[in-house]
Amino acid sequence: MPTILELAGLPALATGFELLGSGGGGATTMLELVLRSSPNWPMTVHDVEELDPSTPCLGAAFVGSTMLLTERLPGLAPFAPLIAAAERWLGHHVPVVCSLEGGGLNGLAPFTLAGHRRIVDADLTGRAVPGLDQMSLLVDGVPGIVVACDTGAGGVALVQTDRALDIERVVRASTIQAGGAGGLVFAGFTVGDLREHAIVGNTARALSIGTAYLEARSGPLDGLAAALGGRLLAEGRITAIDPDAVDQHVTAFGITGSAGEVHRLVARSENLAFMTDGRLEAAAPDLIVVLDAISRDILEVTDLSRARHVAVIQLDGPAWWSRFPHRTRYVTPSAYGLDGLDGAA
Amino acid sequence: MTDSLRMSALLAHPQNGGVRAVAGPVDVEWTGVVVEISEDALPADGGGRLAILTELPPTRPWQQDALVRRTRDRGFRALAIPHGDNFGTGTRALADRLGLTLLHADRPMLLAKACWQLVEAQDALTLGYVRKVAQSIEYHANDLTDLLRHLSSSVGHGVALIDAEGVLLEVGGQLAPEVHAAIDFTPWVDLTRMPAGTAASVRVDSPSREGLRLAFFGPGLDERQVSALAVAAEVAMPAVAARILIDEVAEVSDASVSSGVLRDFVDLRGTPNPEVERRMLERGWRTTGYHLAFRTVGRNRVDALQLLRFVMGELGRISVDSHATTTGRGVSGWLTFSEPPAASQVELYVASLRDLHVAARRSFNVATGVGSLASGSAGLTTSLSEAADAARIAVNRSNTGWFVRVDGLGLEQLLLAWTGNDTFVPAARSLLAPLESGGGELLKTLSAYLDHESAIAPTATALGLHRNTVATRIQRAQELLGVDMSDPEVRLALHLACRAVR
Repeated sequence: MPTILELAGLPALATGFELLGSGGGGATTMLELVLRSSPNWPMTVHDVEELDPSTPCLGAAFVGSTMLLTERLPGLAPFAPLIAAAERWLGHHVPVVCSLEGGGLNGLAPFTLAGHRRIVDADLTGRAVPGLDQMSLLVDGVPGIVVACDTGAGGVALVQTDRALDIERVVRASTIQAGGAGGLVFAGFTVGDLREHAIVGNTARALSIGTAYLEARSGPLDGLAAALGGRLLAEGRITAIDPDAVDQHVTAFGITGSAGEVHRLVARSENLAFMTDGRLEAAAPDLIVVLDAISRDILEVTDLSRARHVAVIQLDGPAWWSRFPHRTRYVTPSAYGLDGLDGAA
Repeated sequence: MTDSLRMSALLAHPQNGGVRAVAGPVDVEWTGVVVEISEDALPADGGGRLAILTELPPTRPWQQDALVRRTRDRGFRALAIPHGDNFGTGTRALADRLGLTLLHADRPMLLAKACWQLVEAQDALTLGYVRKVAQSIEYHANDLTDLLRHLSSSVGHGVALIDAEGVLLEVGGQLAPEVHAAIDFTPWVDLTRMPAGTAASVRVDSPSREGLRLAFFGPGLDERQVSALAVAAEVAMPAVAARILIDEVAEVSDASVSSGVLRDFVDLRGTPNPEVERRMLERGWRTTGYHLAFRTVGRNRVDALQLLRFVMGELGRISVDSHATTTGRGVSGWLTFSEPPAASQVELYVASLRDLHVAARRSFNVATGVGSLASGSAGLTTSLSEAADAARIAVNRSNTGWFVRVDGLGLEQLLLAWTGNDTFVPAARSLLAPLESGGGELLKTLSAYLDHESAIAPTATALGLHRNTVATRIQRAQELLGVDMSDPEVRLALHLACRAVR
């Protein structure tokens, strides 16, 4: 049964995607403002099973620096030239849109296409991830994927390849050419592919945990964690920020717990692992959400500063990733070059 | 013997591979040691032991946390690793929190060897110490302190020569007073272990000094180390005792040589003699410049050598070039200045010499005389003989604390000092013997008469006699002595004789 999403539900949905961002994925504020003025409310979100499996589908998202997107606002139809290029390449209209990244601002990206295309509740990650080769369709090796992206000044690049890493590299290069941030469209797959090779139901999850968060936000932290269906891992002050000597993108945050526990939060552009007293408590693909312990704001990695009082909550990651070893390999901390952090229960 | 290993003992071990405490409990005892390359090779049943890992530890903070955690979870109570001091505050806090002692080791294999010696191979430990003692004896030592320095640096612990009063010499650390107080001076070997420190001491059989002990000491040594060190002390003791004797013999001969040089110099009375000058220069005695001499003599029998030892020690506190040697019953010495010191400075140095004298009087019954400041070779002779004169006077001067400075003397005192010697006094006695027939009245009157410028009236007033009585007595004394008192030389001789026999 399709879900009807009212405008009043938008803040909860956005909050839910911020939680699923696991400390990354970018702030949803800008897309929330864009969507608020959309003429297409209420919007319909279809379940994967409701649509004909042979229906062609595309996914849309922003790539590059999410921070840049808050300064350089995207146009009114950021994905239109990319979709046009992809459709021309494929030679047919693509009537359904899904999400590429199910966490952070990209969770809201398909809604910008409401009114023109049907929205299906599926995405390719279920959380925020930094690499395009981590998209579930590429992880499972679904053939015929076409990727279009901005190259700046209205230009479009289109990549078709069986080598996932090439997509990552070409899109990354194009995005840099486009000024650091831009749009991205995946096409060449069907709704039927999503059933097996994508994370389904994440929009519903975002809506539900977003709603729960807004209701329990001012309550006790463990109550808030329980309302989200998660586990409170820590509450304490950030006492150390150690940039990694091997990988400059990695930072280990030392959090001293209220009872003196020694917590470590290891983050790249997302929170990837959490350790208490030398014991691994949570690791990607599980979601690690850091909140300001006082204001209860959802914090991104870049918001974590020394002496900040924070609470850390673990949410279960998408089960899709854990179903096969070849999938897990793409999202565990070792995929990011971090030793000794895999295998959290 | 237990298999336990104390952390303090390991830290005190001289060849412990540079082990340092980084975090966690410090006053701990372990049930044993396990040495492995990496943490995953450690046995699962740590059983309160110390784990030594030879591989470099991970550098990322979460990996270090995990290492500490897993080692603790295996039941170990301590972890020693290379680069342990690179662990960050978070990991250190975790070690504190988990009660795991985190140690840094520069060289883990050496640390393992030290543990092996302490836990299983006491004989190896003892033998190691004994061999080091033997090695240190092999090297030339200038004196006793040098020998102790050799011993301390090769054994790796502090060495002290002590008696019941306190520490005489110590090298390589400070023996805590509490530990010294706890040492039993009766037995041949004594082992003392206290919270303040530990020591193994052995009696030194020295014919010249009683009640000495040679002690190896250090903080936190365990009983195995202390007993091994006791053996080392037993081996080192004969060398120390011999060295004490050698030093004493050398000291005696050195003192006698320097005493001879000074005697020759004084005998020259300022006449230049290149041979004596050369011998003085060899001893570092410069005759140029300005000199302030002093002489300290025993009021009764004193050991001049011991006095010299004391004086040399005290002279070290006076910040000026100084020399001293034994002469006769006492010690002669002088301060040398290259520039003439101001009068106020001279007063300060005299005050320092007085302090030296006061300090010496605590152990020796001595009197001290100080000469005047004089320059050059002749000046040194003058100052030395002035000091000798002043010392001679000081022997009988309780009111000045047996300290006399020649600048403060009257000529009369000087003359008296000269005349107060063994040859003059009997001569004076025999000279004045005829006057004793009158019950001493004549001698008393004659003395007063000479003191009052040979005038009858003031003498009569002073003695409370009539002028005629005085005149008669003087007349009789002249007759009895058979001298002419109008002769000034006769008057001087009589005056001195009166003073000498008074």
